[in-house]
Amino acid sequence: MEISVVRDVLEESKAIAQANRDIFDRHQVFVVNIMSSPGSGKTSILSRTIPILQNQGLNCAVIEGDITSTLDSERLQPLGIQIVQANTEPFGGDCHIGSHLVKAALEYLDLSQIHFLFIENIGNLVCPAEFYLGEDCKAVVLSITEGEDKPLKYPLMFRECQICMVSKIDLLPYLDFDLSLLEANLQKVNGQIEVVFNSAKTGEGMSTWVDWLLRKRNNHKGVA
Amino acid sequence: MHELYIAESILALTVKLLPPGADRNAVRRLEVEVGQLDAVVPENLHFLFNAVKGSFGMPQAELLIGIEEVSCQCLDCEHIFTIDLPIFICPACQSGRIDVLQGRGIRLIKIITED
Repeated sequence: MEISVVRDVLEESKAIAQANRDIFDRHQVFVVNIMSSPGSGKTSILSRTIPILQNQGLNCAVIEGDITSTLDSERLQPLGIQIVQANTEPFGGDCHIGSHLVKAALEYLDLSQIHFLFIENIGNLVCPAEFYLGEDCKAVVLSITEGEDKPLKYPLMFRECQICMVSKIDLLPYLDFDLSLLEANLQKVNGQIEVVFNSAKTGEGMSTWVDWLLRKRNNHKGVA
Repeated sequence: MHELYIAESILALTVKLLPPGADRNAVRRLEVEVGQLDAVVPENLHFLFNAVKGSFGMPQAELLIGIEEVSCQCLDCEHIFTIDLPIFICPACQSGRIDVLQGRGIRLIKIITED
């Protein structure tokens, strides 16, 4: 017997993500899935971004994804925000955050008080790009210490994201990094990706990233 | 990419789609189509599928993998083209404003059973 189906193998994961999406929409929460390789600066960028938003009266929360440990959550605790730590497995688990983990994390969040939810994904330029979690947008952080070639080596990640934050630009004087080559490589993979340059250490470029967030939120949610 | 998760998802979806009361042991072949952008390594998927199929009650199932090439359309000149490498530039007008039409996603296409 032959049964023709044509069904998405990941449909269950996507259904959970869509249910997450519905919850976010009900509460008008703008959700950003932040991805990068380990050490690119996701947590540092969040620790700079959130106070800027808070100063504008916008409340934030974070789902902090890691294979193990609560170190990044602890770094963000002083911001006084809701944080849910999502660990995939203490001794070496999944290499990405799945929609089911986001669903579970929502049990611990009061979304009625939140304007922005950041999902800091597990450090990995490969797998997180594959999985929709219910977010409004995907952002990738690429530090200049990683080299200009990463968009060409990890095309799915840079195709899936709407914005690329080129981080740690305070280190430019000490590296042979070609910014225009990076931009050219980004354009080869995704001519529509927006690029911002920033440094969580000095604060340079952070307002450009935050302005993008606010603009995107306004466009998606139709709110001021 | 995490071929184990995909292998298990294929088998779980098959279980879900089999008619009620169907004998899972009678499943002989599962045909899937994998988009090239999903970066699945077929050999890894085969290996892991064979490693876990027994735990889903389908020890005699074979996995047949088709790779779907990446097809794109330029948003500026509307030219449709395929790519062999992950460079998304329109060959007609050199625009980088590209939409991916196919080559993304993993689909179960057919379930073939003995009876």
